[in-house]
This record gives sequence, C-alpha cells and structure tokens, in this order.
Amino acid sequence: MRRKIVSLVVGAAMALSMVACGTQGSEESAVQNSGEQVADSGNGGGAAISILNSKTEIQTQFEDMAKEYEEKTGVHVEVYNADTDTTVASQIATKYASHDPYTLSMVDPKDIYAVANEYAYDLSNEDWAKKTKLGITVDGKVVGFPFCVEARGILYNADAIEKITGEAFDPTSVAKLEDFQKLLDKLVQGGMEKPVGILSEYWSLGAHWFPMVYEEQQDPDAFVKSLLDGSGSLAENEKFNSLMDSFDTLIKYNYAKGSASNADREETSMMLAEGQIAFMFGGNWDWSVINQYDYTEHLGMMPVPQNTADTSNFKIVGGATKYFFVDSSSDTSDEQRQAALDFLNWLVNDADGNAFLTEKCALVPAFENIKADKLDPFSLSVKTYADAGNMIPTYNYLPDDHMTVVGQEIMQKYLDESMDRAALADAVTEYFKSATPIEH
Amino acid sequence: MKTNTLGYKLKQYLIFAGLTTVIFCSVVIIPFIYGLYLTFTSWNGVSRNKPFVGMENYVNAFSDGGYWTSLGRTFIYSAIAVVLVNAVAFIIAYMVTSGIKGQNFFRAGFFVPNLIGGIVLGYVWKFVFNKALVELMGYISDGRAKSLLATESGAIAALIIVSVWQYAGYMMLIYVAGFMSVSEDVIEAAKIDGCTGRQSIIHISIPLMTASFVQCLFLTITRCFMVYDVNLSLTNGDPYGSSALAAMHVYNQAFVNKNYGTGQAEALILFVICAVIGGIQVYVGKKGEVQA
Repeated sequence: MRRKIVSLVVGAAMALSMVACGTQGSEESAVQNSGEQVADSGNGGGAAISILNSKTEIQTQFEDMAKEYEEKTGVHVEVYNADTDTTVASQIATKYASHDPYTLSMVDPKDIYAVANEYAYDLSNEDWAKKTKLGITVDGKVVGFPFCVEARGILYNADAIEKITGEAFDPTSVAKLEDFQKLLDKLVQGGMEKPVGILSEYWSLGAHWFPMVYEEQQDPDAFVKSLLDGSGSLAENEKFNSLMDSFDTLIKYNYAKGSASNADREETSMMLAEGQIAFMFGGNWDWSVINQYDYTEHLGMMPVPQNTADTSNFKIVGGATKYFFVDSSSDTSDEQRQAALDFLNWLVNDADGNAFLTEKCALVPAFENIKADKLDPFSLSVKTYADAGNMIPTYNYLPDDHMTVVGQEIMQKYLDESMDRAALADAVTEYFKSATPIEH
Repeated sequence: MKTNTLGYKLKQYLIFAGLTTVIFCSVVIIPFIYGLYLTFTSWNGVSRNKPFVGMENYVNAFSDGGYWTSLGRTFIYSAIAVVLVNAVAFIIAYMVTSGIKGQNFFRAGFFVPNLIGGIVLGYVWKFVFNKALVELMGYISDGRAKSLLATESGAIAALIIVSVWQYAGYMMLIYVAGFMSVSEDVIEAAKIDGCTGRQSIIHISIPLMTASFVQCLFLTITRCFMVYDVNLSLTNGDPYGSSALAAMHVYNQAFVNKNYGTGQAEALILFVICAVIGGIQVYVGKKGEVQA
C-alpha cells in the first residue's frame, strides 16, 4: 500500500514539474522570439515566412518558387506540404497549439469562416482586393485571398467523339439532355460501348455533383435553409429532378455499371485521356491525373446537359476553391506579416508571380488583371466560361458531414442503382433535418 | 545505510524509473487527461476558445446512430478476425516448428507482411481485389465479375482477409516461442505414455502455452478494435459507408465533420470498451495458465 502511495506521489510530482517546465520553456522562447525580432528588424529585410500549401499537386512548383523568390527579395519562404492523412484544419490547429503558426495558410473556403475571427488578418486595404470579386469577407473585412478558380462540369474527349461521329464536336449542341442522349447512342453504335465515366469517390458525388442541386436554385441559401428547417421539399424540386435525370443518363452509359461504386479514379481518368470513354463528370483539377496518361489533343469541359429552360445547361459551376489567410496572432511578427502581404501582392501584380500561378502551377487566376492563355485544356474552358459570365457560384455553407453522408451513404447507393429517386430525395431530406448548419 | 526510508526509495525510483516516468507522463498520461477534458468542450478543432458544454458530447455520442452501427460492425469484424488470425497463426507456428525443410525461410516469409505498413498493405490489396481477382474471375465466369470491395459484406470480408494476412505472421512468432518453451521431456514422457501426436498437442502443448494465447489474443483484440490504416486505404468506408469501422467513424466525426468534442467522446467510449474487453480476456486467460 505504502509503495503505491509513494509511486503515486512521485508520478504527480513528475507531472507537476513537467507542467512547470512547460510554462517556463514557453516564456523563455517568447523572450527569445522577441529578441530575434529585434535583431531581424535591425538588419532590415531577410524575414522568414512559412506557407502551408494544401494543393499538394503543386508542391514542387511551390518549392522552386520559394528559392527564386528568396534570391530576388531576400525573404526566406518555407513551404510546407499539407499532410494527406489528416485535414488541413487539424494541421493548422496543431501549429496554433504549439504557438508556431504558418504565416500564410492555404485552406478551403469553409475553413476561412472557422478561423476568421481569431486568426485571420484584415486584408481589406490590400491593392488586390479591388481586382477580384472572389475574396472572402467576414464581418465587413476581407480575410481570404482567392488563390485559384476551379469549376466542375462534364469533361469530354473531343477526339474520341469526332473519330466516331466524323464531325466537329460542339458542346453547345448537346446542352439539352435529349441531344446528349442521341450523341451517346451514336457513340455506342459507333463502337464505344460505354462512353461515360463517373467517379465513385464520395467527395465527387457529395461535394461536387449533388451540391449543384442547391447551387443552381434561384436562391441557394434560402433553399438549403428550407431543407434544414424541414419546410423545403426535394422530391418535387425542379432542379433536383432535372439534374438527377441527367445523372440517370450518365449511369446508363457508365462503363463501370454493375460495380459503379467501386470505379477507380485512375482508371476512369486514363480511359478519358486515351479516348476509351468520351465523357466524365469532374473538374479542371482532374488535369493533374489525366496528364499522367497518354492523352489526346482535344479535351475540354462543358456544362452538364439538362432539360431546363433556366440556361444553367450553358453554365459551369465554380469559384475560388483555395484561399490564403494571413496569421494575425502575436506569434507572427509584424515584419513577417508584411512579408506575407508582399508575397500576395507579388502573386497578383508581378509578372513572375503571375507566371508562377498560371504557367508553372497551371491554375486559373481569380484576378481580372492576370492574363492566362497557356493553361491546360480544362482550365482554358473554365476561363472561357468564367470570362463570359457563365459560371454559377459554388455554395460554401453546406453542413460539414454533407460530403460523407450524402456522398457516401446515399449517392453511392443511387449510383449503384440500389436506391430509387424517391428514396434518394427522402434520405437527403431526412439527413438535413438532423444536420448542423454552418453559421455565416 | 537504511534502505527503507522514503528518501532512499524515492532516490532509487528516480534513478531507475525517473526518465521513463517523465516520458510516460508526457506522451500518455497528460495527453489522455487533456483529451478527457476536450470531451467536455465544444471545440471545433482549430479555435482558441474551447467552450465548456458539460455532458453534451456524450449525449451526442450516445445518440449518434452511425457510431453504434460502426461499433457493431467492429465487433463482428474483430470476432471473426481474432479467431482466424489466431487459428492461422497457431497452425503455421505448429508447421514451422515441426521440423519441416526450410522452416526458417517459412518463418521469415510469414512474418514479412507484418513489416509492411497498413496503408501500403491496403493499396496493394485494393489492387489485388479490384484488378487481379476481378480479371481472374472474369476468365473463369466469362464476363465482368464484381469486385469483393463493391459489395457491403464483401468489403468487410476483404478487411478480415487482409487483417489475417497482416497479423498472422506476427502472432505466429509468439506461438513459435510458445512451442519452443514446451520442454522436450514433457512431450517425450507423453509419447512414452502412449499419446498420439494430436493428443500431445491438445493435452500437453496447448495448456503449457496458455501464456502465448493470452498475449496473442490481447494483441489481436486490441489491434482489431482500433484498426484504421487498412480500413482507410483499402475501403475508405465504401461502399455506402458500410465498411467504416469505429476508429474511422471517430476520425470522420472529429476531423471531417468538425465535431471534435463528440469525436473525442466517441474515442473515449471506444477506449473504455477496448480496455474492458482486453482486461477481462487477460484476467480469464491468466487464471487458466498452468505450470509444468
């Protein structure tokens, strides 16, 4: 018994001393930090900033840019690649917990709202803020810098289509679902047995396809709110039925029909690249997968064909998908913050910065002044639609579990044809009744 | 020098276990207590504020149907996997200690899967199930065969197969040690008394190897209950979220759905269940141990 008490006491003492050490340590490092800051500002320039890059496919480009940027400006840029086995939010949280936040963090739009009040610096007075309509504003302050524009629609392989039909492919000719269906039948007769691919990943179904049902409403926010409070109806909704009619068509011609919920993203992308299938629902980010394969020359993106009169079948859905926010906490020095602001400014207003965005990373810029004519085929389509004003904005306030519940538990079943339209509408309506709304 | 004073004991303790105690506290005890504290807050995972909400997270956890479904699924998965892992491990351990040719090679061979990380293992087997087996079945059944991973029960079965493949080699090592520890004398005595090979395994070797069984069962049970990596890379919950085991549900709840507190509370419940089952199993197993 006594031995037990002794060991308990010792354990407690250890724990206490640990805590004491902890606080002492952090005080010390705080002192050291401020010392460093003084030294830094003393010799002028030479600040070091850290960037979290959550677009992992452009990490190499980022690292190369960091080297060149340091040579030119003397600012050391450390680029961290987001872990793929955890969420960006949790990675940022870890850094804040250890008082070592990234100076610039690249996050999804939704994350901006979560961090805005506590951690995001006010960017309203920046010169670039006037050159874009896509910045995120919280409580009247611009806090999110739109890094790139991405959009979703049907990706097509024009070479594969033209090889069978023998005539030039014009996406606007298949804006109506019947016309799209006729083309698909023609392709089947011409020897392409299954001309369509549908990605089965829950993020594609739950965060890319199904949200179009809300985004293409007259007032997306009001519609989602009505679903959340139980007054809205999905089953009779015109957009829901119109989009699901189109989805049914895609299912009918899906090459993976039979084990559709198990289709492999790599395989589907490869088939589109090589023209074994002609259409695939996706976005311009799919280029990073497709360009790994032996792709044919004429690829592009078009709106989802629909039987509708609201012209949404001539528009793609998209917006800025990655945002930078600048850390406002005291763990970042004013000098670092200034260097971060300079970096954002460089992206928008410097020819090298523009080239990094549009040429090296092949991203669609969110700023009016940036020219981008060397983009990949999908991004060129996005830019064409965006410039013509034919882009329906994305809706960023869906409940957090929408992607997993609607995408995985519900839409995968529908994709596998083990759930009918009425059951789908019921399941989604039921989901919204217990979902937690996102405050905005 | 007196050896029974508090000061002496403390010194001895600090000399021999001081460092370990500090490390143990800092990586296990303190995070555990902090985690416990987080279950009483509605922290979103990022914010500096951690509003205190009392028992709300536990109420949410208990009313989270998806959690209990995934927990039930984990029970089924664990029950089957634990039995299969141990049965397979025991049989191969018996074979590689029975003096067959090249038994050291086989021991190494069976152990190798355990050296491959769970994530990699998952991707490798995903290819086997989705491509290799489907192609093979396609030849046999003359048409497009369905992958095991595309059906609800098939995905769980696939998880079990991969777990057995992964753990059996490791458990085999423990059973091999068990077989080696059974003294030749006892086996020889049994033979002289007229025991057949099978009788001597059932009545002599197995009772003397109880310690190995207790260890292997404990390891497999806890590992199966906590499995995440293979689950993530092999099925990621597909199809329809029907193969998401408890740990995956907890992770999604905390980090994907951003209900950090609820996820943490669910993790704690999973820990308690795991600890209770593991504890009971070790207690019962220890009671059954015999000495030669």
